[in-house]
Parts: sequence; C-alpha cells; structure tokens
Amino acid sequence: MAQAPRVLTYQGIPVWRHVVIIQWTLQIVSAVLVVALVAWFFSNIANAIQDRNIPYGFDFLSRQYQTPIGEHFIPYEPSDTFGYALFVAATNTAIVAVVGVALATALGIAVGVARLSSNWLVARIAGAYVEFFRNVPLLIQLLFWFYIVLSLPPTRNTHVLFGRAYINNAGVSIPWPLPTGGGDLYSGGLAALAPYLWLASAAIAVAAGFVVHRILTRREIETGRASYPIISGTAAAVLIGAVGWVALMIVNGDAPFAISTPAPQGAFGRIAGGFTVRAGLFVLLIGLVIYTAAFIAEIVRAGIQSVRKGQLEAARALGLSPIGVLRLVTFPQALRVIVPPLISQCLNLTKNSSLGGAIGYSELTSVTITMTQTAPAISLFILIMASYLAMSLAWSLAGNLYNWRIGFKGA
Amino acid sequence: MAQTVNAPTLPPPPLSAGALGWARENLFGSRLSGALTLVSAAAIAVGLWFSLAWIFFSADWEVIVKLGGRFVIGQYNAETSCPGQNCFWRPQAGLLMATALLGVFWAITASVSVKRAAFAVALTSAAFAFLPYSLNEMGWDVRLLLLANVPALGAGWAIGRHTPLNTPSRAIIASVGAFLLTLLLLRGGFLGLEPVVVEKWGGLMLNILLALTGIVFSFPLGVGLALGRRSNLPVLKLLCVFFIEVMRGMPLITLLFMSQVLVPLAFPENFPLNSVTRAAIVIILFSAAYMAENVRGGLQSLHPGQAQASRALGLAAWQTTLFISLPQAIRNVIPALANQFIALFKDTSLVYIIAMLDIVQIGRAFIQGNTEYLLHARELFIFIAVVFWVFTYAMSYFSKRLETHLGVGQR
Repeated sequence: MAQAPRVLTYQGIPVWRHVVIIQWTLQIVSAVLVVALVAWFFSNIANAIQDRNIPYGFDFLSRQYQTPIGEHFIPYEPSDTFGYALFVAATNTAIVAVVGVALATALGIAVGVARLSSNWLVARIAGAYVEFFRNVPLLIQLLFWFYIVLSLPPTRNTHVLFGRAYINNAGVSIPWPLPTGGGDLYSGGLAALAPYLWLASAAIAVAAGFVVHRILTRREIETGRASYPIISGTAAAVLIGAVGWVALMIVNGDAPFAISTPAPQGAFGRIAGGFTVRAGLFVLLIGLVIYTAAFIAEIVRAGIQSVRKGQLEAARALGLSPIGVLRLVTFPQALRVIVPPLISQCLNLTKNSSLGGAIGYSELTSVTITMTQTAPAISLFILIMASYLAMSLAWSLAGNLYNWRIGFKGA
Repeated sequence: MAQTVNAPTLPPPPLSAGALGWARENLFGSRLSGALTLVSAAAIAVGLWFSLAWIFFSADWEVIVKLGGRFVIGQYNAETSCPGQNCFWRPQAGLLMATALLGVFWAITASVSVKRAAFAVALTSAAFAFLPYSLNEMGWDVRLLLLANVPALGAGWAIGRHTPLNTPSRAIIASVGAFLLTLLLLRGGFLGLEPVVVEKWGGLMLNILLALTGIVFSFPLGVGLALGRRSNLPVLKLLCVFFIEVMRGMPLITLLFMSQVLVPLAFPENFPLNSVTRAAIVIILFSAAYMAENVRGGLQSLHPGQAQASRALGLAAWQTTLFISLPQAIRNVIPALANQFIALFKDTSLVYIIAMLDIVQIGRAFIQGNTEYLLHARELFIFIAVVFWVFTYAMSYFSKRLETHLGVGQR
C-alpha cells in the first residue's frame, strides 16, 4: 500500500520568533523602562521641591544678582539681573573659546607641520611637545601657569618688557591702538566718528584686496602670464586703507587711532592705558592653547599624511617650491581630513574653558556654581545645558559650512 | 688577451655615509633646514642649561618630600579617617595584588611588554622602600610591604605557570575579583577593620580607582550605545542619540557639580548614594558617550560584506554582531579607545569640584594652606605632571603594542 504523502503545511513563524514582534517588544520595553525611570526621577524632584522647599522656576532671572563678576568684557554692575549676569559669563566663555581656538589652531598647524619636517631635530622637538602636553591633565597645566603668574611681582614693581610692555601678577599690558577723539558718538561729531569711519574704510580695503586677488588669479590662470595676485591684492588693500587714514587726518586734524602705551600710575602702580589681558584670562588662554594645540598638531599631521605621495611628487615635478607644494597642493587636500576632527577640538576647547573657575576666571560654569547659592539649581542646570549646547551648535554649524566649502564639488 | 681587473671598491664619499652623512641629510638637508637646526640646537642648549640649573640649584623639592605618602593615598591614613589603626597596609595590599596579577598575566601571555610593565611596577614599588625618610615618618611595615612587591611578582608568575589560573579569561575574572576585594578592604568595616568613609579616600589611589571603574563600566556601556545608535529600531536609536549628544555637549566639570546638587534631588531622601559613587557614575556615563562614538566609527569602517557573509553563513543577528562586527570594529579603533581611556584618566583630576582630594587637589590644598611654599608650587605641579605623564604614556605605549600584536593596518 502506498503510504499517504506527508503534507507539509506552512504554519507561519511563531509569534515569539517573529522579527518585527521581537524588535517592537524590545523597543517598547526599553522605552517604558526609560520613561518610568525619568518619571521616577521627576516625581522625586517634585517631592523634594514640595517637602524640602527647594526653589524652582525662572523668576530669579529678573532679580538682582548683587555679586561682582571678576572679569567682564561688556559693562556689568552687581545691581544687574541674574539673566544679564549669566549673559556676561557666557560672553566670557565665548571670548576664551574664539581667541583660544584661533591661537591653538595656528600653533597646532605649526607644530603639526614641524613634526613632519625632514629636519630630524625639529621633528623631535615637535614630537616631544605633543607627547608631553597631550598626556598631562589640563588642570595641572593651568595650575602650573597660575602659580607662575602668581609668583610674578605685583604691579608696583612690575616687570618691564622692551621698555613698553608690562607683565606682573595682575596680567599683561601691551601697547595697543586706541581710537582718538572720543566723546559721545551722537554729539561728538566727526572726531568721535573718525575711528569707526576708518574701520569701515579698512573693511572696504580688505574686500577690495580680495576682489583684486581673485580677478588677477583668474587672469593668470586664463592667460598663463604672471599677474602677481597676492602682491597686487595686498597693495590695493594697503593703498585704500592709507587713503582713508590720510583723508580722515586732513579733514579731522588728528589720526583716527593712536598707539596707547601702558604706564604705571599712582602709589600702587596700577597699569593704565594700552591693552591689558588680566591674569585669569591670560593663564586660561596659555593653558588651553598649549594643551589643545598638541591635539590639533596630531590632527594636522594625520591630515598631511593622508595626502598621497604622488600628489607631492607631481607638484614638485611641475616646479612648485616646497612652500608652494604645502600651500597649494598638500594643504587644500589635507583640510578635508583635518576639518571634522578640528571641529570637535573647538568643542573640546570651549568645554575645557569651564576649568577657568579653578584659576579665577569667571566663565559660565564657575559663575553658575556661585549662583547655585542664591538661585534654583534645577533652572540653572537647564540654562547652562542650553548655553553649552548653543555654543556647540554654533561651532558645528561654522565648521560644517567651512567643511562643505572645501569639500569635493560636483562629480 | 686583455685581462680585466675589477676596479677596487671605493669607500663612499665621506660626507654621504656614517654619522656625517646622516647629519648632512637630516640636519643640514637644505639652507633652511640647516638654519632651523642651528636655531633649535641653540634653543635646546639654552633651555637645557637653564632647566638643569633650576632643577639642581634653584628649585626646592622639599614640598614633595613634605607631602610624601599623601600623594599616593591622600588623607586615607590620617587619624581622622582611620582612628586608632594603621590603615596604610590596605592600599598596599591592593598594590601587592595588582603586582601578583601582572605576574600571572606575564606567565600566561609571555609578552615582552607585559613583562616590562610587571617589572616596572614591582621594582618601582620596591624602590620606594629605600626613600630616606626616618622610621617615624615611614615605618618598617610600610617598607617591608613595598619590598614584598618583588616576591609577589614571582609568586604571581608561579601561579600563572603552575595552577589552574592559567588562561586569560580566568586571570581577567581574578582581576575583577581582586579589584572588588581591594575596594572592600579600603572600605573596611568587617573583621575588626576600622571603616574608612569613601570621602576620605584620596591621592593617586583615588585617580586610579576612578579611572579603573570608569574604564571597566564605560566600555561595555559605550559599545551598547554605539550598537543602539546604529540599530534600525527607531525608538532605541533616538534614546541613544539623545543620551550621547547631551553627554557630549556638556563639560564634565559641570556634570560633576550638578551630580552633587541635582542628583540627590532625583532620588528619595536617604538613598544610599555617596558623593564618590555619584561622581564615578557621572564619569562612567560621560566616558561611555565618547566611547560610543569611537566604536560607532569602527562599525562604520567595516565593509557591509562582512555582516552579509556572516548572515549568509547562517549566523543569527546577535552572533554576527558579537563575533563578526564588534571584534573587527574594536580592533580598528584601538588608538581612539586608548586615547579615550587616557582622557578618562586625566579627567579624574576634575573631582576637585566635588571637594575630593585627588593627587592634584592634595598638592593644591597644601599650597593654599602653607603659603610659605607659594613660590615652590611649580616644583609641585611639575612633579604631579610627570606622575600623570608616566601613567598616560604607559597607556599609549601599550595601545601601540596591542595594535602591532593584533596586526591593525596589515590585514
């Protein structure tokens, strides 16, 4: 007798092994867990607010802060509000971030290029710099510089550099061009406006220089004849700036800017005039720049090494000078590798500036920490988180725009 | 018949071989290179002259002698933290276990770098027994326990060679056990051991303990976050992205401070969570976010064919992740992970913000308390910087060895 054939019927995947179901169960479970945890935290916070009378809310922002801020670049009085004080602290952080990134990038590029130098000694010095400063905590470096500056003489017997600049435990003072005339901008007439007018003419001069450079470069590429774009562009910019300066001098009878030399004044020798970088900012900048430059140097080195050797050989074969190879062939290509990690170093420098509190610079975090004594910590935490997030976004945006500009276009 | 005689082999021109040739190529390759060599050699000579003169004649290293053992354990052995008992032996027992475990790993792996590390740790510890302190300041028990590191290394090696503790996985389990045992010992409170509250732990010991805890916990968490961020489950992905970006957007110091102010509010009153545990958790979460981005980079660098082939061979999704993707991804990002571990170790110096006395803060508090040493703060911070540098440099050395061992970039 023929055996009845076994019929296999497809029953479908069992529910507990169905991929979609497993995935969604996992997700729902994890989401519920996270939501439950967060809810538990919030209920505890709510309880604490109720039982222990913990303050909350944002009303404090319009109250008077009544505490001095050690250093500020925009006018600030203790009678100003909490909100404005936070803004002052945020500008302090932003100034360190921008100046620090500019200096650290310059130093980092120099060290990174030096590390790849064909000169053995220079490469070793750059390597030692990177290996040491990258591997020591920033806090130690900051404290080291802090105590160095602290051990400098006080202002009344300050060190004098080159007879014109001063360095003491209050900071560094250097000669600086300051606008002449002064007076109220609205009623002071031309004398008060002259510095701003000249700044405007300088901006026009720089823009004109770039236009000249661009036109001449294009002509050089099209005709193949040397048109000296860099020299001509610089000359155009200097010429227009000088014309503006002379014109203002003739009309106004006085130069728009004059070099102001710092000088000790009074019994305690407070330094007046010129431009003074106060000790806190000075130490923070030195520490941050030296530390971050070590990381940027490694990024620059990796970027330069990522350019294929054939590119350099071809550039040399075409007759470019070593500097020309670096400037026109290596760097534009290396930049594509350098910029993304460089952006994250900018973020790091901004976040590391929060160590300023340890050396007496009033940046965002240290001011916020002081504020927690008289204002609700919960609200402050939300505000400081938002501020740092905004700064990170600003760096990312600027960096990514630049990255897009230098990236491969088309094909 | 003309006879041919080989011309005698001439020596190379004197300026192209040997030390002179090397110098000519690497130090005086071009006019610019020669000038750079002369300038940097002069700078090094002047720098060395002044720093050696400072180190041996003007610097006063007394502050380091004064702090002595406090660098290593902080206030742990002080009468206020460990009354009526000598508690120095407990961290020393931890050190002995670490040395013995290094011996075990040396026997198991037979690797040169592990051997070097083991000998470095054992011999350096033993060398500290010969410090010229009087017996009152540094008892014979302390010295004996330091000397015991050498036999401990031998014992560890014998254990690794002759007992069942002879596979890497068992040794790792033993290490975790030894770590937990050390924590228990330090905490005390059993077998007549005086309990020492965690807030009294300090010095380099605290830095190392925080760093070890951070590395052990943040690594798996970071891998999990990276997988979550790359998964195609929208809810999970969103949670991971949110966590990573918030953590990366804030300075660690702000998070640490807020962990002391805010986190206690988020838990019920009297929840058993001391400030050090909170700090450790914040460090773990912070580091995990960065770790996740590194691992994600490694996962992205894998060719999709790897996972496809593995699925085609019939491996389940979790097996593909665990045995195919992750091992390759992590191997690819060893340098980045090592840098992250180094950063974590450096970041442990930030616990000053929550009033913990780590090695940096011990020094700083000493200077602030004894202003007569104010001018010698630089000696102190140079010393602490060198201590940190030795550890971080060892970490980067090991990561390089591991990279070579695993053949990164060669397969």
